[in-house]
Amino acid sequence: MALIAPTILVLGAVIVYPLLSAIYLSFFSIYTPTLEGHFVGLANYRDLLGSGGFWSALVTTAIWTVGTLTLQILVGVGMALLLQQNILFRSLARGLVLFPYFLSTVVAVLVWRWLFNDLYGILNQMLMNAGIIAAPVNWLGAMPNAMLSIMVVGAWKFFPFVVIAVLARLQTIPESLYEAARIDGAGPVSRFFDVTLPQLRDVLTIVILLRTVWDFKEFDLIYLMTGGGPVNGTRTLPLIVYNQAFGLNQMGMAAAYAVSMMLVMLVFMLAYLRRANARSEADSAA
Amino acid sequence: MVQVVFEKVRKSFGATVAIPCLDLRIESGEFVSLLGPSGCGKTTTLRMLAGLEQTSSGSIRIGDRDVVDLAPAARDIAMVFQSYALYPHMTVAENICYPLKKRGVAKAERATKLADVAALLQLGPLLDRKPKQLSGGQQQRVALGRALVRDPSVFLLDEPLSNLDAALRAHMRAELIELHRRLGKTMVYVTHDQLEAMTMSTRIAVMRDGVLQQFAPPAEIYNHPANAFVAGFIGTPAMTLADGLLVREADKAIVRAGALAIDLPQALAASLPAATPSAITVGIRPEDVAVGAGPWAARVRLVEPIGHETIVFLDADGLSLTARVTGSAALHAGETVAFDLRRDRLHLFDKTDGRRLATVPSA
Amino acid sequence: MTTRRPNLLASLIAWPLVLIIAFPLAWMLLTSIKPAAELFTRTPQWLPRSITFEHYTRVLTETPFLQYFGNSMILAISTTVLVILVSVLGAYSLVRFRYRGRETLAALVLFTYLLPSVVLISPLYLMLVKVGLANTLASLVAAYMSFALPYALWLLRSFMAGIPEDLESAAMVDGASRMGAFVDVVLPQALPGIISTALFTFILAWNEYLYALVLVNSDEARPLTTGVMNMLISAFNIEWSLLMAASVMMSIPLVILFAFFQRYLTSSFGAGGVKG
Repeated sequence: MALIAPTILVLGAVIVYPLLSAIYLSFFSIYTPTLEGHFVGLANYRDLLGSGGFWSALVTTAIWTVGTLTLQILVGVGMALLLQQNILFRSLARGLVLFPYFLSTVVAVLVWRWLFNDLYGILNQMLMNAGIIAAPVNWLGAMPNAMLSIMVVGAWKFFPFVVIAVLARLQTIPESLYEAARIDGAGPVSRFFDVTLPQLRDVLTIVILLRTVWDFKEFDLIYLMTGGGPVNGTRTLPLIVYNQAFGLNQMGMAAAYAVSMMLVMLVFMLAYLRRANARSEADSAA
Repeated sequence: MVQVVFEKVRKSFGATVAIPCLDLRIESGEFVSLLGPSGCGKTTTLRMLAGLEQTSSGSIRIGDRDVVDLAPAARDIAMVFQSYALYPHMTVAENICYPLKKRGVAKAERATKLADVAALLQLGPLLDRKPKQLSGGQQQRVALGRALVRDPSVFLLDEPLSNLDAALRAHMRAELIELHRRLGKTMVYVTHDQLEAMTMSTRIAVMRDGVLQQFAPPAEIYNHPANAFVAGFIGTPAMTLADGLLVREADKAIVRAGALAIDLPQALAASLPAATPSAITVGIRPEDVAVGAGPWAARVRLVEPIGHETIVFLDADGLSLTARVTGSAALHAGETVAFDLRRDRLHLFDKTDGRRLATVPSA
Repeated sequence: MTTRRPNLLASLIAWPLVLIIAFPLAWMLLTSIKPAAELFTRTPQWLPRSITFEHYTRVLTETPFLQYFGNSMILAISTTVLVILVSVLGAYSLVRFRYRGRETLAALVLFTYLLPSVVLISPLYLMLVKVGLANTLASLVAAYMSFALPYALWLLRSFMAGIPEDLESAAMVDGASRMGAFVDVVLPQALPGIISTALFTFILAWNEYLYALVLVNSDEARPLTTGVMNMLISAFNIEWSLLMAASVMMSIPLVILFAFFQRYLTSSFGAGGVKG
């Protein structure tokens, strides 16, 4: 139908074509400023896999992803549970909790870098005043602080996504399930684990998948917070791609990194979905 | 005045054939119900008539036009949907005027027609409301109004009453009958409720698995069902259908069902085709079973008093019968009673394909 | 639900957490209205001793902020309009029509939803240079389609799938053509979904950083995201007051949209996710 034509055109132009180009480019060595290059076959990939840079970046990315995802899920589910209750000024609370998600990453980074500032940042000042630390902590310039800091900022920025998805699902859980549990003698903790959590399983499966993928490919936040430092301590795969293309001017190699990164994500997604499907099938069969 | 003719219409969805070959001729001004269980193809047939579904082959004529290639808007039909399909963002007045607007009817004329329809269906006070502010019955009338306002040749109704409660349904049934009488238009009505079909239709088309079983006036369908399916589908409580053996002796015919041996009346026996198989299905309607006196005996399994009558479930040596008794019967489960059958009201069907074998001429 | 009495216990647990979450933003606001001298103290100064708006005026008059702001506006609005036009038609097609390849197209849309932008920056950069659009706002609009369109399609598809087909059938029987039924019935019904999608697209375009970084190098076409970060890099001394003031101003459209349309923004989460 003709209605779908504009969509196909646009998607073809800005996604399919560049995607295929990226794969194509990865077999070349291209000098970014002049855009001249020559064919090198699989050399990029060989260098990439043997360089160690790829593997350590993969580990770094994995650590960052797991860390910030865990925080996002824990805080997200917790806040959703709280916001589900009839608390005072609930809409205002909801608005405040959700807002970080809609902020620009630039603003989020600027604010947190100011908070983390070693001499004048409010965080260090508060902690010193409270006697928790004796000297200012370098939040962004030393490891493991830098990794922990970006995990926290990532969680702050992205956890509202979890809140909204979980909250929406919570509101559809029939009250009668809780009532039945209460009659059966379940206390609040049991009710959470036996009624709420199973109902949340579907939503959490999707949320975890989406957030893992999005955190894995996150560029803006890490680039702007630490630039990948200190000394590549927070250098994730997306940052390497950018660095290769525009720092080292190796566009072909950048494409190779990007393609490799995509393959890793693809493998993860397939494995994850298969496991999720298997588990839900086992449930329906049971 | 327009007839609606389906000629060799076939409909398949991919590999599944929903309707193998439908031939149906609806005369002008008739109220025809398409009746059958879910999945029998009645809604598909209606939608093909409307143009919302394409035929796989065959022709559909409205009047003298073959409409198979025409868009719904060009077929001069109006449709009332089961869900009413009222446009939620428009008021009642706008909903009803929408078809007129689409045909370029002038504003003044639209207002007149709206007023006519509103008067007919008592929609006056509702004209400025939105659908969600209306009750089910009111929404139904608005849907009817939208169909009426254009004065089309054929009205299509897709189970319009199924979302209403019982009392409202009865009321709307009467209104629809009155409407049909007044307008005299051809109406095609889809329903799974046999009571609706029986009370409203000039003729009923009973369908099953995409195949037309019988197309006849209600009385004939009730008294002379064309096959065992129709016999069992029409009538509440359902006709008792049981396996039987037909035995011919000299000039007599005997039906053995369970432990009963029933002499067939001459008229019935005479109308049996010569080459009748011996394995048959025999049916008797509950009102044709007389409880209290008779040559046979049965145990009462269950008694259901309904007020004006009582339904009695009997077991006679392996044969389960349903009987209808007027008023309240002084019967209890476990009792043994005598019963009789009106033997001239037996229905005999071929056991293998269900078709009717004998018919008693109508009185 | 029966009568709702406020749950005090939950409020006592929830609100401190909410305040902690909101704190960084509050701090941003406070910093932006404090005189610069008050910032550089060793002990925490919560509330400003005096309030000043000099940082705001400085940002507005001494930096290209207004130009960046204008660029971001044009960029976000153009992207939104274009995306809505294309995705409304596309989503309707995906939902209503049966044609070969429809399922694969839907799966493709989902896949692109999860695609890393870093993968596309190199080829997009090359493509736009070749077409001669490098360093323009138009190049950003084109690039933004790559993540905004799949998302919009996914959202609108869910919204439209929820509109009963009977309504269009009724419209067609009543005399409308297929497109007529679309305009008269589907669009009004899909309006909340369209608003949600438009809002989200606007916000995505407003906040985007990476493509702006790679594709645009001159102040003429630079949007706020890279523009404000640029002000950080080019200054010798990081002027936090100015940055906080710029951040606040940069976020004002978002606050306005969020305050008035929170319902639209959060309802769409049921229908799909958002690009992180």
